Amino acid sequence: MRVAQTRNVWRGSMAATAAWAAAVCLMLTGCGQPEVEFKLNRLIVPPVSMVVQSREMQLVDQNLPSAEISEELSTLRNTYLHNEEMLNSALTAVFGTPDDPYAWPGLGLDIQKLRMAAGPTGVRGVTRGLYREHCVHCHGINGDGLGPTARFLNPYPRNFQMGVFKFTSTNQGRKPTMEDLHRTLREGIPGTAMPSFKLQSPAEIDALAEYVKYLAIRGEVQNQLMTAIEGIGDPIDEGQLAEELEVVLQLVANTWNEAEDHVVVPVQRPPFRSEQERLASIERGKQIFLNAGKANCIGCHGPTGLGDGGQVDYDVWTKLQRDQEARFPGLAQLWPLPVRPSEPRNLHQGIYRGGRRPVDLYRRIFAGIKGTPMPAQGQTLKPDEIWSVVDYVMSLPYEHEQASPAPPSVHRAGL
Amino acid sequence: MGRFWSLLFLLVPVLGVAAFVAAPIYDHWLPEDWSAHGRQIDRLWYFILYLTGAVFVATEVVLFWFMWKYDGATNTQPAAFTHGSHNLEVVWTLIPAATLLFIAIMQMSAWEEAKMQKPHRPALARVTARQFEWRIQYPGPDGQLDTPDDLHAVNELAVPVDEEIVIDLESMDVLHSFFLPNMRVKQDAVPGSSIPVWFKPTRVGEYDIVCAELCGWGHYKMKGRLYVLSRPEYEQWLENLRIQQEATQ
Repeated sequence: MRVAQTRNVWRGSMAATAAWAAAVCLMLTGCGQPEVEFKLNRLIVPPVSMVVQSREMQLVDQNLPSAEISEELSTLRNTYLHNEEMLNSALTAVFGTPDDPYAWPGLGLDIQKLRMAAGPTGVRGVTRGLYREHCVHCHGINGDGLGPTARFLNPYPRNFQMGVFKFTSTNQGRKPTMEDLHRTLREGIPGTAMPSFKLQSPAEIDALAEYVKYLAIRGEVQNQLMTAIEGIGDPIDEGQLAEELEVVLQLVANTWNEAEDHVVVPVQRPPFRSEQERLASIERGKQIFLNAGKANCIGCHGPTGLGDGGQVDYDVWTKLQRDQEARFPGLAQLWPLPVRPSEPRNLHQGIYRGGRRPVDLYRRIFAGIKGTPMPAQGQTLKPDEIWSVVDYVMSLPYEHEQASPAPPSVHRAGL
Repeated sequence: MGRFWSLLFLLVPVLGVAAFVAAPIYDHWLPEDWSAHGRQIDRLWYFILYLTGAVFVATEVVLFWFMWKYDGATNTQPAAFTHGSHNLEVVWTLIPAATLLFIAIMQMSAWEEAKMQKPHRPALARVTARQFEWRIQYPGPDGQLDTPDDLHAVNELAVPVDEEIVIDLESMDVLHSFFLPNMRVKQDAVPGSSIPVWFKPTRVGEYDIVCAELCGWGHYKMKGRLYVLSRPEYEQWLENLRIQQEATQ
């Protein structure tokens, strides 16, 4: 009797131990990670229900018979689903998945670098998953700026999918050079949540920049392909799609390959020979800054450069969001970032997001800040006028110190 | 089973001590100290380690001994109850109190040197912590911060060797902690305050700057590098920084 009882207890504890061991094994091995896939950008390719709903509202307004409406809607639904499926498979064929990226040869992307940046982290012995280690929590797995921390940040993290980058050395409307992307990664963007990755090795920075380019190209191809498909209207067949795809890929690849040819090289001016000359240049810059008929800096940055010109405008990422949300009711709930207007910079803070070198400021004024309301002035202002505006803008944080010694400042507006 | 459990508990002090003995062999001990005042900090640290280590071992051995001696399976005597010993309680209260008082007095000079006796020299640089990087600002030729000739850097702090270095530490957003393990310096950066930090590096080299206060989801990536350079190299470093910063093409 006693022996049997003991044996039962023993058997019970064996079962418990086995259950624990199984649980621990499961925890250590993971339950098999799900395959990661790129998702369609819902701003560009809204869910079918919203497309149908939006069309339905138009048709109802036209007072068509309900049988006709429902027939058209059902055609639309089928066409849209078919096209969505075709678009998705075309993108996967050309770009692969986040775990296994593929670079269509014509794009000039380096597959070795992409592999370093892509994939899951924690693979022993090889550098992999850099993007998921450093970038994904803000910029998102699709590069759409929808990572889990995105909504807490101001400004929002960049959505790479429009292929527009703010701080570049290139001319208006042009892509950044690879060196521009490297520089942003190395130096970070002061005044935003983008930190410096200076201590990563050059090879890692290189891989990440390549991956950002890859995500941007993928995003743009998606946008342009969707526009082409919408233009056709009917269910697209494979031949048409392949044709469109080739055109779009070549177009997007060209814009990136051309970037190096469009770097803004500032016309140099002789160094100041005296302090009077320097002050005169600042004064001239101020007059240009205040001239509403010419560069009209004052219109947004305000008469004292505090960024209080009273303009309300949006950058291209927000404009797209606003337009699409107006077209497709309900889309706002899918896009988790509330709309924010662009803020003209307060120039007194001494924070220069695109870099604080005079050449950086020159390029900001010459070519504008891409995707934002800050316009290019390369055609309106002569090089030495731009230099004077640079001098004036760079003097603004120290404006009061020129009149009197600065009080010891502990509390300063951010870096 | 019986006394198996008391032996299992004996493993706690045995493995605890073994971990500390093995750590230096596997290079998991204190980072190398390359600062002038670090030895004093380390001495204090070792003193407290040995003291608490001895108390830890003694306590664990007594626990083991009681479990062994009063094991239920082997003892046939009924349990005896006691109201305790007043004298014993006084003794075990007074000894730790005296020990704590002793440590409090003994550490005063180390604290004074590290946190109160600021060297009489202007700050070499201002280090501003922000989520998640270290922004560094040198005063430039005029020796004044927040003037047009300031030099700006990020995550890379260069200092000359064998000189007293004073850093003004600030934070832009939340609490951070400026930690130079090899300089034995750790100081919280508090938003709204400018807190001086000082140390004297004694060897040229590259060392870590890390954030030692959980400051947000990106805390782990908040690392920088401290370059301790010879005087001429340091001057060259600043000059390079100036040339880069004034680039017009």
